Amino acid sequence: MNRHTILTILVAATSLPAQKFYADDPVQVYPAPQNVETVRPRRINEYYDFFQNLMAKPGEIQAKTGVALPARAVNTLGEAPDSEWYTNRHGRNRMTIEELQRGPGNATPPSITKVWRVTSAKAEGITPGFTIVDGEGRKYLLKFDPPSNPELASAADVISSKFLYALGYNVPENYIVRFRPEQLSIDPKTTFVDHYGKRRPLTQRDLTSILANVRPDENGEIRALASRFIPGTPIGAFRYHGTRADDPNDTIPHEHRRDLRGLRVFAAWLGHDDSKALNTLDTLVQENGVKFVKHYLIDFGASLGSASYGPNSPRSGNEYLFDWSEASRQFVSLGLWVPRWAKAKYPHLPSVGAFEYTVFDPAAWVPEYPNSAFLNMDAEDAFWAAKQVMAFTEDDIRAIVRTGEYSDPAATEWVVKCLLERRNKIGRTFLRNVLPLDRFAVRNGNLTFADLRALHFNEPLQMKVRWHTFDNNSGEMREIEGATTFAVPASTSEYVVAEIASGGQMIRVYVRNGREIVGRENVQPEPRLLTRR
Amino acid sequence: MKHISWVLVLATAACMKAETSSRIAEILAERAAKTQQLQPEAPSKMERRMDWLRDSEFLTNFGEIGGGVRVKVGGLVTGSGFAVGPEYSREGLFAGKMDFRTSAQVSMGGYQKQDLEVSFPRFVHDRLRLDFYGVHHNYPGLNYYGSGAGSDRNGRSNYRLEDTAFDAALSVRVAPKLTAGATTGYLFNNIGAGTNRRFISTEKIYNTEGVQDQANFSRVSVFAQFDTRDYAPGPRSGGNYFVQYGSYGDRTLGRSSFERLDLEAQQYVPFFNKRRVIAMRAKTAMTFSDRNQSLPFYMQPTLGGQDDLRGFRPFRFRDNNLLLMNTEYRWEVFSGLDMAVFGDAGKVFSRKSQLNLKNLETSAGFGFRFNARNNVFLRMDVGFSHEGFQVAMKFNNLFRNGPSKTSSMMGDF
Repeated sequence: MNRHTILTILVAATSLPAQKFYADDPVQVYPAPQNVETVRPRRINEYYDFFQNLMAKPGEIQAKTGVALPARAVNTLGEAPDSEWYTNRHGRNRMTIEELQRGPGNATPPSITKVWRVTSAKAEGITPGFTIVDGEGRKYLLKFDPPSNPELASAADVISSKFLYALGYNVPENYIVRFRPEQLSIDPKTTFVDHYGKRRPLTQRDLTSILANVRPDENGEIRALASRFIPGTPIGAFRYHGTRADDPNDTIPHEHRRDLRGLRVFAAWLGHDDSKALNTLDTLVQENGVKFVKHYLIDFGASLGSASYGPNSPRSGNEYLFDWSEASRQFVSLGLWVPRWAKAKYPHLPSVGAFEYTVFDPAAWVPEYPNSAFLNMDAEDAFWAAKQVMAFTEDDIRAIVRTGEYSDPAATEWVVKCLLERRNKIGRTFLRNVLPLDRFAVRNGNLTFADLRALHFNEPLQMKVRWHTFDNNSGEMREIEGATTFAVPASTSEYVVAEIASGGQMIRVYVRNGREIVGRENVQPEPRLLTRR
Repeated sequence: MKHISWVLVLATAACMKAETSSRIAEILAERAAKTQQLQPEAPSKMERRMDWLRDSEFLTNFGEIGGGVRVKVGGLVTGSGFAVGPEYSREGLFAGKMDFRTSAQVSMGGYQKQDLEVSFPRFVHDRLRLDFYGVHHNYPGLNYYGSGAGSDRNGRSNYRLEDTAFDAALSVRVAPKLTAGATTGYLFNNIGAGTNRRFISTEKIYNTEGVQDQANFSRVSVFAQFDTRDYAPGPRSGGNYFVQYGSYGDRTLGRSSFERLDLEAQQYVPFFNKRRVIAMRAKTAMTFSDRNQSLPFYMQPTLGGQDDLRGFRPFRFRDNNLLLMNTEYRWEVFSGLDMAVFGDAGKVFSRKSQLNLKNLETSAGFGFRFNARNNVFLRMDVGFSHEGFQVAMKFNNLFRNGPSKTSSMMGDF
């Protein structure tokens, strides 16, 4: 049975008579999750994930033409309701500077009143690290910066986690910590796999050997990232396609979730090209007596110009790790064809790495390898994400960047400048593909809204509006003669709809009982994909 | 089966949707429908296979056997054929002060090498390093075409080299990028009949110094190295310059003592954010001996093969001195592969006055450099010259890292 058949059945089934809007629309919060009886932990295989996404493009991928596959996990206003995946934060109600800096929490860094017990260690891999338990019994993952680039990965991890939290995602509490080697003590039960592949007890010599690859500061203190363990029972990563077969609350294929499709824009903004399944985590948590799966994004060390083990490649974000067409072009041209990104300029800031804004192209941005949710990002997803990025003011951005604790003020300034310029590019790119009107309300009998292009770029739109009555059961629309202003027309119909057009683009805004905004939709019959495939 | 389950879920949800009266009810109906279809998460067959690949750490610990033992691939002289053998290493012994490594390899062509290395890399705040190295080679078919630049390509013969060297090297990091040091060692040589039956054995047609009897040598050398490369395992910028002066004393025959001066300059010129690199090297090796001493052929500098003149056979040219220049233009094809086009020029010569750019042998070609996070782990070069073309795979970088710390002419340490 192919995808087309499934789609046909779905379309047929969902075309059964149903209202367009329900009384509880627009839903702002998903209903409390259903209790999860049993979920089995799983490990996603990184090789499989890479090749599957690179070669097979799993899940339901939007074709370039034909029937559009709009995002789901979205309410009738086009917003992502609060759920186990996502919580509307700065984009809906502005967070204070303190809240932005606090992120998922900043009150529980590892306590230094007692030594930290090392309960596991990782000598190999991209960056060395430990798992520690502090005197209060709290558990953290301790990760270090590459010796060539102090502060690089730890700052990126903290800063990006705060941004992604403010943007609505579940992320771990991340802290910059400084300590002396004697702060660490080895738990007698701790074992680790040495670089000969042998598991054996961790010794003080191993600890010394791992720390020998870390550069202490002038005071002899070691700077590290302490990422607090996420509450709940970890059950593995989530994929950017399909659903978990054992989670009753996971009903929407991930490649269609707005919060995952739109994440592409956020990842582009932050230069988080390592945004792959392996850097996510599902945990089984219990709240109000209900067990459910909560979905997290983790590990942001490879963002903001960092590749965790050193500066990121200038290729990062501009090309996949492997791309047939680009590789062929390089092969055939003997390297004489020079991609634009290869000409990007970076200031010499070891703690920042390769982060810039001139070459950055939000629509062309790609992660290290494709994922289905990012591939499906359409104009609406991008609009949803872009308006949230635009909600960050310079003060907001600066406040969050400061949490990275760069010792070089020039590094702070450069990251702030890059984020501002990248933000503006995102706005200019993605606020053009749909009519960029937002925050609809009815005030004093008039339909009001924010023209985001006027707000952010001082480019007000010339708009025309026509009003219609709307039959919620049949979907039939009838024009209301003479209703061509933003005053909501009087009508006996429960629903009226404003068709707002400008420059060949059109959206519909649905008003219930003359006062309640119940829906917003982009009039766009064909898919408008904005990304390179 | 999976598809059928999904259709059932969707159809059930759609029917429930038709009966629901609120959005929340619709969401709950979807959940209820899925609840009927829950099944444990299970990886696909392919993913299970790849799990095995990951869990066995086949790729990350390629060749690792465990307990410090691994399979070592490559590392023998060019032309020996594919070589493999066990290697045992331990790092950080004696409170992190000592590293130990030993290996034994044999190639498809019957070439053998055994070596043992004890290093103390972290003395005096990591500024001082002490290495002890012992190596034994048994190479049964090294090429010899006669000495001198005019040697005939049809004069190919082969000989067996058996040498054993014991050396110690002390290096001091004088400044962050500047290292100086000294080595001392002893080299036992034995030359025998070549075993490659396609070619005549050297002693049958050549009567050059060293064919009939061989000398053992003591060596002392001093060296200095200025290294500004950005990343030694896969350099893309900076330079690497070193000089080494060694005195080889003939301890058995008393007629082959000599001094040798090695100068090498490597420069990496990056552009387009290091996605393009021009790598250049110029090097010379010059030997000096008294009138009553003559350099045996097995101690002469050589040219030819995948590390220098890549369009020529290994050891194609040898004489008392050499001059070599290489230029490569490398470009990134994708993140794990660089390609290169290159040109090599060099010559061997007998008199110091011939140190000039006249009568150079040249070769050109192209190559592939495979890397993982910028660490080059495999290099394949195809070189063309007026003597034909050569193809070879090597598990190393083109240019060596620094001065030779072994007195063996096979110079692989």
